[in-house]
Amino acid sequence: MIAVLYQFARKELVQTLRDRRMRVFLFVMPVVQLMLFGFALSSEVRNTRLSIEAPPGDALIHDIYRDAVGSGWFVPAGSKLSDPYARIEAGDADAVLVAPTGGLDRAMERGGAQVQLLVNGSNVVRARAIEAYLSAIVASAAAERAAGRSAAAGPAPSLNMSVRVLFNPELDTPTFMVPGIMAQLVTLLTIVLTSQSLAREKERGTFETLIAAPVQVWELILGKSIPYLLLGMIQIPLVLGAAVVAFGVPVRGPLWIVALAAMTYLCATVSLGILIATFCRNQQQATMAGMLVNMPALILSGILYPVHTMPLVLRAFTYVNPVTYFAELLRNVLLKGGNPQLVLRDMAALMAIAAVLTAISVRRFTATL
Amino acid sequence: MNLANLIGFKRAAAIARKEARHVLRDPLTLGLAIGFPLMYVGIFGVAIELDAKDIRIAVEDGDRTQSSRALVDVFRNSGAFLPHPVAAGSDVQKLLSAERDKAVLIIEPEFERMLALGGEPKVQIVVDGSDNSATSGILSELGGLQAFANARIVPGARPPPLRLVTRFLYNEELNSKFFIIPGLCVVVMGILSILLTALTVAREWESGAMEQLLATPVRPLDIVVGKLAPYMALGFGAVLLIYVAARIGFGVPFRGSHWLFLLGCLLFQVSYLAMGLFISVSSRSILVSVQASMILGFMPSILLSGFIFPVESMPAFFRALSGAFPARWFMIICRDSFLKSGASGDLLKPFLVLAGMDIAILALAALRFKTDLEP
Repeated sequence: MIAVLYQFARKELVQTLRDRRMRVFLFVMPVVQLMLFGFALSSEVRNTRLSIEAPPGDALIHDIYRDAVGSGWFVPAGSKLSDPYARIEAGDADAVLVAPTGGLDRAMERGGAQVQLLVNGSNVVRARAIEAYLSAIVASAAAERAAGRSAAAGPAPSLNMSVRVLFNPELDTPTFMVPGIMAQLVTLLTIVLTSQSLAREKERGTFETLIAAPVQVWELILGKSIPYLLLGMIQIPLVLGAAVVAFGVPVRGPLWIVALAAMTYLCATVSLGILIATFCRNQQQATMAGMLVNMPALILSGILYPVHTMPLVLRAFTYVNPVTYFAELLRNVLLKGGNPQLVLRDMAALMAIAAVLTAISVRRFTATL
Repeated sequence: MNLANLIGFKRAAAIARKEARHVLRDPLTLGLAIGFPLMYVGIFGVAIELDAKDIRIAVEDGDRTQSSRALVDVFRNSGAFLPHPVAAGSDVQKLLSAERDKAVLIIEPEFERMLALGGEPKVQIVVDGSDNSATSGILSELGGLQAFANARIVPGARPPPLRLVTRFLYNEELNSKFFIIPGLCVVVMGILSILLTALTVAREWESGAMEQLLATPVRPLDIVVGKLAPYMALGFGAVLLIYVAARIGFGVPFRGSHWLFLLGCLLFQVSYLAMGLFISVSSRSILVSVQASMILGFMPSILLSGFIFPVESMPAFFRALSGAFPARWFMIICRDSFLKSGASGDLLKPFLVLAGMDIAILALAALRFKTDLEP
């Protein structure tokens, strides 16, 4: 019995790992994707092309411009056009600072001065960040000027909010991203591989041979799922290791919890793969269905976008989505050391989802035999 | 040899008819072609809110006076935060690691008295740095809140000597839908066309039907044109769907030229169909085709195109890399067509690059197709 299972799983693994391209896909791609997320994708807004429209002798606005370029967030934008709107329209600049008529220095002396900022709003994320950066730069430049002028009047009373960021003080993108990306990588891989392997047997007609062989149904199911579970379990330390070595992502909690959660989670995704395969006749269908399921599972999980602002219907989906719990648990254990209550809650949710999915897929599988 | 001879339109049309029948007969492919754009518009259009909104923040109010409550109200009224009280002196680490709150606002005792004395009372905000979707929103929100709280609460506060007045062009209210939905044209069209072609042509190879097709008097070029035509129609159907949803469902303006936009769609689609063809001819297996199209279609069109993550912020190497994929250039055309008037000719470069890519990828696919046929 165990021998049958062992042989079965071995056949499956050999079949998958035989293909060189498959090995690349399994072991190189996840690391490449991780690097992409770590190095290339950040929510920071850099290299914004900024230009100014001001009289030549206007000192303060040129100071602001120099501060902005010096901050590293902005780069100077050259343009032959004089109209600030036209500069943005032509794509020469992303933002333009416009001094009031007559110059900012004179306006400051009159009091209540304003600087206008024109921003290309077609990228909402960028536009908002540009405004936030520049308003900070403008405020500090104005404060410096005011301090120089009115040292005698003393500083204006003000409320001082100090901000401290816990768990990831440098707002390091890989630290943000890695737990979510780990969840994403194993999800796609296990769902697609499992459903494809079953669909391939159906497509080639070898499925009939399998059923006719002296193998029990549960042996068949286990034999088809264990290899992909194993592959998933190999990927997790691979990706986590790369994250720790290349990006210094912290591991603050116990790793056995991560392993246990990963195991439970993979049971859920592998079952889902089997379930998908029961609806498909060939590999093409299995792949498309896998990708179709994968996308909403990722978007509606809180990895990239906040869940609490979604409409109720979509939020309901996030509560039955195993990715939500796995990503939350990973993030909590890796970055915060693991809060016992939260870990228990997420583990329980993962187990319940895995149990339900396994039950449904086993029933569907036996029914379609 | 003239062009009509090169592509036998009749023969290509026959292949196209056959392929269209394939598509129509297969409910999954058709479902994918229709369901896929609908799902993307539904999920990205409705679910994703890029504004900071209703972020749960725990408040440790050690002062409990009118002023401290006014400060909490400033947070509440901003719409970005959802403050709720917790006992003063609670462990901040513990609060944040329970994942219920994204930040903690700590108001020290003597807050009001310090204010009245003209001192600088300390207010601390501790932010959970582990969740990027919340952290960046909180941090950018706080700057504005501080100025507002100053004016509201601090007695004798002077108005700031210099104000920054911002005007956002093309999207005055910074509506995130205006940003996301035009970008969906790129994502949906890219994934759909590369995946469908890679899969169907690979299936033909795998099942050996391609050899049979090649043995008929149909020329290779006819096969290619005929096979791709129905998928082109599907891709355009998907874009039309997104266009209608954007204009009617989400009220996104369309300020550019429809003709230019259509031309952009055509150029982009040709590049991705040709890429799908190239993949399937090179790999001849469904499994490998899918992986390759994931790598060449899925990732660049979502991650490297500037759909969510700005290309300008990437390191130079990745910026160059993203420029090597058609998705980035079509993204510029899409966003500008919807939001900008596009009158100033700055779209010339993306169009030229896309056209150049089309020629290169088509040539590569055709070459590969030809050498593959001669053993």
